[in-house]
Amino acid sequence: MSIDFPASLGSWQPDALAPRIAASIAFEPAAIELESSVVFSHKPRSAGAAQVLSLPRPLVVSVPIVAPRIKATSFTFSVCAPLNSFGGEPADATGAVLVPIRPRELASNLAGSSVASNAPSAPPATEPQTFTRLKPPRDVVKLVDRLHYLLQPALETLTSAGSLQFPFRPFSYQFEGIAFLYPRFAAVLADEMGLGKTMQAITATRLLLHAGEIRSVLLICPKPLVTNWQREFAQWAPELPITVIEGDQARRRWQWQLADAPIKIANYEVLIRDRDVATAAGAHYDLVVLDESQRIKNRTSTTSEVVRSIPRSRSWALTGTPVENSPEDLVGIFEFLSPGYLKSDMKPRQMGKAAGDYILRRTKDKVLTDLPPKLFRDATLELCPEQREAYERAENEGVVHLTEMGDAATIQHVFELVLRLKQICNFDPVSGQSSKLERLCADIEEVAASGQKAIIFSQWVSTLQTLAGHLRPFGPLEYHGQIPSKKRDGVIQQFKTDPNSHVILMSYGAGGVGLNLQFSSYVFLYDRWWNPAVEDQAIARAHRIGAVGPVTVSRFLTTGTIEERINQVLDEKRELFDTIFSETEPHKQLGLTQSEIFGLFKLRCPHGPINAAA
Amino acid sequence: MAAGDAKSGATLGFLTVLEHEQHGLFGGYLILNHLGRPLEFHCTAPVKANRAQQILYGPTLEPFLYGEQIGLTLLTKATHRPALVCTDVRPALAVREHVDLPIALVLASETNPPAAGGETLWRVDAAHRTVANLTTFRHGRHELCLPPHRELDRATIAKPLEQWGDGFDLLEPFGRIREAIDEAQRSGKQ
Repeated sequence: MSIDFPASLGSWQPDALAPRIAASIAFEPAAIELESSVVFSHKPRSAGAAQVLSLPRPLVVSVPIVAPRIKATSFTFSVCAPLNSFGGEPADATGAVLVPIRPRELASNLAGSSVASNAPSAPPATEPQTFTRLKPPRDVVKLVDRLHYLLQPALETLTSAGSLQFPFRPFSYQFEGIAFLYPRFAAVLADEMGLGKTMQAITATRLLLHAGEIRSVLLICPKPLVTNWQREFAQWAPELPITVIEGDQARRRWQWQLADAPIKIANYEVLIRDRDVATAAGAHYDLVVLDESQRIKNRTSTTSEVVRSIPRSRSWALTGTPVENSPEDLVGIFEFLSPGYLKSDMKPRQMGKAAGDYILRRTKDKVLTDLPPKLFRDATLELCPEQREAYERAENEGVVHLTEMGDAATIQHVFELVLRLKQICNFDPVSGQSSKLERLCADIEEVAASGQKAIIFSQWVSTLQTLAGHLRPFGPLEYHGQIPSKKRDGVIQQFKTDPNSHVILMSYGAGGVGLNLQFSSYVFLYDRWWNPAVEDQAIARAHRIGAVGPVTVSRFLTTGTIEERINQVLDEKRELFDTIFSETEPHKQLGLTQSEIFGLFKLRCPHGPINAAA
Repeated sequence: MAAGDAKSGATLGFLTVLEHEQHGLFGGYLILNHLGRPLEFHCTAPVKANRAQQILYGPTLEPFLYGEQIGLTLLTKATHRPALVCTDVRPALAVREHVDLPIALVLASETNPPAAGGETLWRVDAAHRTVANLTTFRHGRHELCLPPHRELDRATIAKPLEQWGDGFDLLEPFGRIREAIDEAQRSGKQ
């Protein structure tokens, strides 16, 4: 075999040389078949087969990286030091640079804190490096746009390179949540309570602002959570100036119209009050974030109507309970995100599939395998004799009355009876005797003796006030609708710091959402709410990131009463929802329907008045 | 190619070649600004040498395909001129013979640096210098290699590397390129 190469091969210009490179090949022994199907036969001295060696110049797809649609030049940073990326190295209040700490350090820090809500997880040096990249949503079709997201730096590099300071290194699932939100113009972050939805939303917002992709953000949340959001922003994005819309009308109007405020926070009530200025023609937000977005599940409500009318480019909804009562709730939320995308007549599975790319939901058991366990200790109690007598009398009278009313009975009539019976389950109306109270006092004594703290939930302020009297030795604090908003932060602070305050009494309405009380090891549900989702929210005040030990949940339930029947119906519905929802895993709990409430007393749900009443 | 803006910091290029069992080689080239954000991305359609070419190019095939065919094509397509081109595939260092840009091989942490004595060569011509002795040095946590006879590049790239700091993982952008090529390929099929 001989191969003749041109002498100039040494200069290595195959492209130019390729046409001239030809191999004169003569094979002696046997035929060799090349993949290129050139066959060289076994013929001595046969003419050489010329094999062209040129390689086609590859086609090149050049994808220009487009500049962000919105340039970010309009905001300034409160603490800004030159850095190799993003331009900010925020310091904490003392001026010291925040240093990532390890999970165990966090756990001990949070043991006495109601502020921090997310655990750091500074990985040990040996932990394999992971990279979380932005994934373009399905509705981003153009390749150039998809690549724009894919080619952004991995989120972990933000912490490792120090380009953005974080008080703690976020968990991997939190990076995934940020990567989910960042590229989406419509998104529902529906993580279970306590997984850090607030932090994820703040960080995604922060990155978008720093990247110049957005420049004006409106965050709407329930009024009691405004201070919580301020705290979280100060912790996770200290360089971003926040404007809380509050005060008298003139001041609020001025705040709404501020052009150089990148982030505005308003509560739902203020938004409704200021709807004219908030939704004025000139107003436009690059991003509107709705916290506790189940507030707009009812599409016909004023809140929903006003929220939907805010001019905006991106719409994010945060909720731990995207489906509280029925799939219709999700349709309500999607009316804000993408009107008409989900329809009421869709089958649950179909709805789940359609919404899949817009919803991210994780549960603690899936992502926080190291979160301390939540131990349920249902306290099934017999009513004391006085309670039993009062209960049976009230039930019999009530049912007879409802039966006599026939079709004139409305849902309100049944509700009144249910509430009356539930109140008797708490206390005998005449003597004040209560089997629940006896049990609670015994339990709280044990809690206090071990130096722990407990949260007690009830749906009635009157019940909480009665309990406060009985629990006086344990330094009870109250947090409910009758405590002025301005005093509430002080109550939480005292509960956190006062070693003599072992108990805080909370109503489901006031204390059910947004509070971080992970220093409490015990939760008591003195009476049960209509909807397990609300109960879950309440329990999550203590059982959340930062909980240093198991959280024991005691649910009081009196046997042979309305409480037991409600619980049974809700359990059945929970199972049913587990079966229906598998596509997006929205929260699997339902409240009671009208007919189910009637069914508690074996009454038929009538037509006409019920609908009108509902 | 436009020179990087000195005020805004040095830009870096990242060049890699992926081998697909069916389709052959895909080249990808990403240029990042000093914030690590993408300025440009280029990728090639698959390139595959046939059997005869494999035989006849012999050990020069890889440097040719990676360096001249793919690397050079991509680098000349770019409009930005990075201060340094990083690659994670050794044969791509061959592109240095054709461009006036420093190029460095970033070794994965578990990869051993090339032996001081170099590798045994069985042919001698210019192209084969790419697999000969490499100049290896450490920059922070990264181990980098320069092509043979390009030791002077080390002084040129010292400043941009300093600007980027040790916090930036020089191997991370290659993951982006791989995902982008994958996405582009999937998109092409649809």
